[in-house]
Amino acid sequence: MSDSYRNPFSGVNAVQLKEDAILDYWCSPFTYNIFSEIKQSDIYREENNIVLMGGRSTGKSMFLRYWSYPIQFRRAEKERKKPLDIIKGNEGIGFYFRIDSPILKSFDGYDLNTEHWASLFTHYFELTVGIQYLEALKRLQDDAEISEQAETSCFVPKVCELLRLSPQQRLEPVITELDRRLRFIDTYRGDVTFHKKAFEPDGPVFPSESLSFGIANLIIQCFDSFRDLNIIILLDEYENFLTYQQMMVNALLRFTKPQIKFRIGMRLEGFRTYNMMGTEDFIKEGREYRKVVFEDISSQNSDYPKFLAEIAKKRLEHVRTLREAGFVDIKKFLSVREDLEQEARDLVKNDPNRVFNQFLKSSGVSKKELEKVRCLDNPLIELLNMIWLMRGVSADETQQAMRDFLDGRKTKRAKKYRLDYVDKYKLSLMFLLCSIYRKEKQYYSFNTFSFLSSGIVGQFIELCRRSFANAEWRDRDALLENGTISREDQTRAARDCSVAEKQQISRIEDYGGTISRFIEKIGNIFRAFHADHKLRYPEVNQFATNIEALNDKNLQYAMQAAIKWSVIQKKRTMHRSGPGEPLQDIYAVNRIFSPSFQISYRTRGGKSVALNEKQLEDLMSDKALVISNYTPKDGILKDSASGKLFPEQ
Amino acid sequence: MERVSADGPPISNLDYFILSSGSDSRAYQILSQIQAGPTSGTKIILFNYRERVANRSSDNPLFNYRNLAIADIQEVDCDIKNPSSSLSALEANTFDETKAIAVDISCFTKPYFFFLLKLLRERFGVLKIDAYYTEPQFYSFEKGVFTAFHTSSGPLSIIEIPGYSGQERRDAARKLIILLGFDGDLSREINEDVSPGETVVINGFPAYSPKFKDISLIANEKLVSDHNIRVAYARANHPFEVYNLLAAFKKEASAAEGDTFINVAPLGTKPMALGACLFALHNPEVRVVYPLPETYKDKYSDACWSSWVYELPLA
Repeated sequence: MSDSYRNPFSGVNAVQLKEDAILDYWCSPFTYNIFSEIKQSDIYREENNIVLMGGRSTGKSMFLRYWSYPIQFRRAEKERKKPLDIIKGNEGIGFYFRIDSPILKSFDGYDLNTEHWASLFTHYFELTVGIQYLEALKRLQDDAEISEQAETSCFVPKVCELLRLSPQQRLEPVITELDRRLRFIDTYRGDVTFHKKAFEPDGPVFPSESLSFGIANLIIQCFDSFRDLNIIILLDEYENFLTYQQMMVNALLRFTKPQIKFRIGMRLEGFRTYNMMGTEDFIKEGREYRKVVFEDISSQNSDYPKFLAEIAKKRLEHVRTLREAGFVDIKKFLSVREDLEQEARDLVKNDPNRVFNQFLKSSGVSKKELEKVRCLDNPLIELLNMIWLMRGVSADETQQAMRDFLDGRKTKRAKKYRLDYVDKYKLSLMFLLCSIYRKEKQYYSFNTFSFLSSGIVGQFIELCRRSFANAEWRDRDALLENGTISREDQTRAARDCSVAEKQQISRIEDYGGTISRFIEKIGNIFRAFHADHKLRYPEVNQFATNIEALNDKNLQYAMQAAIKWSVIQKKRTMHRSGPGEPLQDIYAVNRIFSPSFQISYRTRGGKSVALNEKQLEDLMSDKALVISNYTPKDGILKDSASGKLFPEQ
Repeated sequence: MERVSADGPPISNLDYFILSSGSDSRAYQILSQIQAGPTSGTKIILFNYRERVANRSSDNPLFNYRNLAIADIQEVDCDIKNPSSSLSALEANTFDETKAIAVDISCFTKPYFFFLLKLLRERFGVLKIDAYYTEPQFYSFEKGVFTAFHTSSGPLSIIEIPGYSGQERRDAARKLIILLGFDGDLSREINEDVSPGETVVINGFPAYSPKFKDISLIANEKLVSDHNIRVAYARANHPFEVYNLLAAFKKEASAAEGDTFINVAPLGTKPMALGACLFALHNPEVRVVYPLPETYKDKYSDACWSSWVYELPLA
């Protein structure tokens, strides 16, 4: 049975998937209330252009491809409908385009000026779009879907006129001709390296809009079936377009026609420019396009975890061994939540008195009082009790509150204790305990992975992939017979994934090194907060700054690049970095880095580290990090000579 | 393909010997065996990457070629990111099909020798050359053998190697063939950028050293563990074995899927890349993609192992 097993989370890239696979793996984000700014009907019907922004692996390509005509036609086939009925139901037809970055970059250089490349790229873009329109029509025509045959209507002659081709009767030779012209551009791109020469095709060089809007308009005019439909250009990976290439497309956004609209996928901060080709004007959010953010770290309020579970289910179902064994619920493989108490017990079992001894040595609290609040069954509770003593609560009061809580009494003390232990500090206590024991916190469970993914589906999938790979390697039979993955295998996956992602930072175009230094330092600052033995600022893992106001443009660009690559994530609303502070933009470090720095994977709110321009500059520089410059004046580090109650060894 | 013995007779009768400067000890291993004195008639063309030469003192090993007896040398200043920056300097030479030309690829970056070979064929009608290569004896693994290894640092930009854009036909299935190197980030990036329907990785085996084939698999774990990825093997120092494997993949793809747009990413050893270069020269519809880094590491290997000469038909 296990012979049919393969890692369910390996190798599914939306761009590479065939049509059937897209449908098989598709999970509608609308079902799970993932995006508040967009409704499903907006895809084809929204009159404005829509820009979908999100980091790598947030599902943009899957989303865009799903609405494209080949997938919708396949969907029609599966649902035993006619493609045209699907198009009419959608009120539009989508055309998906992705031009890979090596091609985009090849339209540049060799001492040829931007005008030259802009003209050539526009020609290429127009041909690429135009050919796909004709292919879709041909497919509908072959399936006898459109009542007006393209060849008997005015369409083909008008297209030939537009393309300045000799009159044709059929679509196929027109398509072949456009394809030939595209190949001519490829040849030119290859040759220009060795022979700097003008681009001289044996036909016209098409200007912007000529085919992308021109053929689309002809389709709407010539075919009754399309008269009331919208033509949607689904353009992916826009961040890879060079500046002049974006200027060309930006102009298309500015001058879109009533029934021709763009849906563009790109990274956050993926616009290199808002300028437009051939005019001083620029495009503006709200006017030329509407923005939909695909990557939302706050999405825990939506049904994001359910969305992840559904995505995982589809992948698990694709593996026969797992499907037949009924192992299709990722929560059962990973467990729903962490068991912090058990994790704490496992952590202290070889040295259960360490916390007690440390407090006895350093806290100034008497042995008798410390003994009163011991709780050997639950190291987290014992640690909380000792913190209460440090905060000035009496040993008797602490002991009574703990007892009331543990016995389930409905007293004020129990309520207060529950509030501190369950609602506020349990996870912080676990981090502090790990810090005291010099052991790493474990990162496991569906809930934890969901947080670690930071709203990026691909990160969740990668955490699962590594967990399954570890489990398979360590004990394949247990994985396939029990349908569970151990805490250790999950933790190793989380840690490896974190390290790999952190390592990738330095590879980010333009500001990789700068961002890498920043993350290393801010991560260590957050780490220091997590080691505060009084837990005054639990789970600090956000910072506040005003990127737009930075005078140093390099700093600004570096921060923008960090957002673009999802290294940091902006919270949707402004918050105060602490009581009495003004409202500011708040940024979280991508949660996937949490295992690297041994910090919390979730947002607690409360304290954020406020960073001014000078501090940002220092954090991005080679200067040594002085953590106390970033911690509150009352000092989380000044409780002992070494700076901590539990100095690191 | 023949081994070049360090103690063998001098290499003579060349019209041109083209190489790149470098601080590796292998950089001038072959040059030191070239007969390049006043009566030899051999012109040495040495590429100096500005990025490598900058801020070097004159006693840096990179300048060791100055200690050799060379009568006629042309130093070509060039930009590591832009191979065509060397074009005008090369135009002064009278390369043609009658000339005996040899290129030492040991210290060239891959995009450069790809460019150079196509240039010799396209612009000057050169139909064959001898390519020399000296294997390094050691690679430096800063963080341990089985962790990160990078031959480059800084941001990456995936490009088509100039002159190797290929021809992507309508409806052609994309196939990516990666010659596997030690730097796992690169293969992942390229696979994502090219987004092929099928990816094949070619690992160098036998490698220069027994462990290397495992290091490259481990470094590329994420890509290789993908169930859609095929792994094939070709000798790490054998361009023709790579060439034959690529030709077989092309034939197989044509038989199975009809039109296929083959992309090759030469991340492995330079002899393997040389095989890919030759294959792309003979099959101009094939695209060659490569991750161009911000900077290459100054030195990631050291000492000399075997040297080889490969006789390459460019057309």
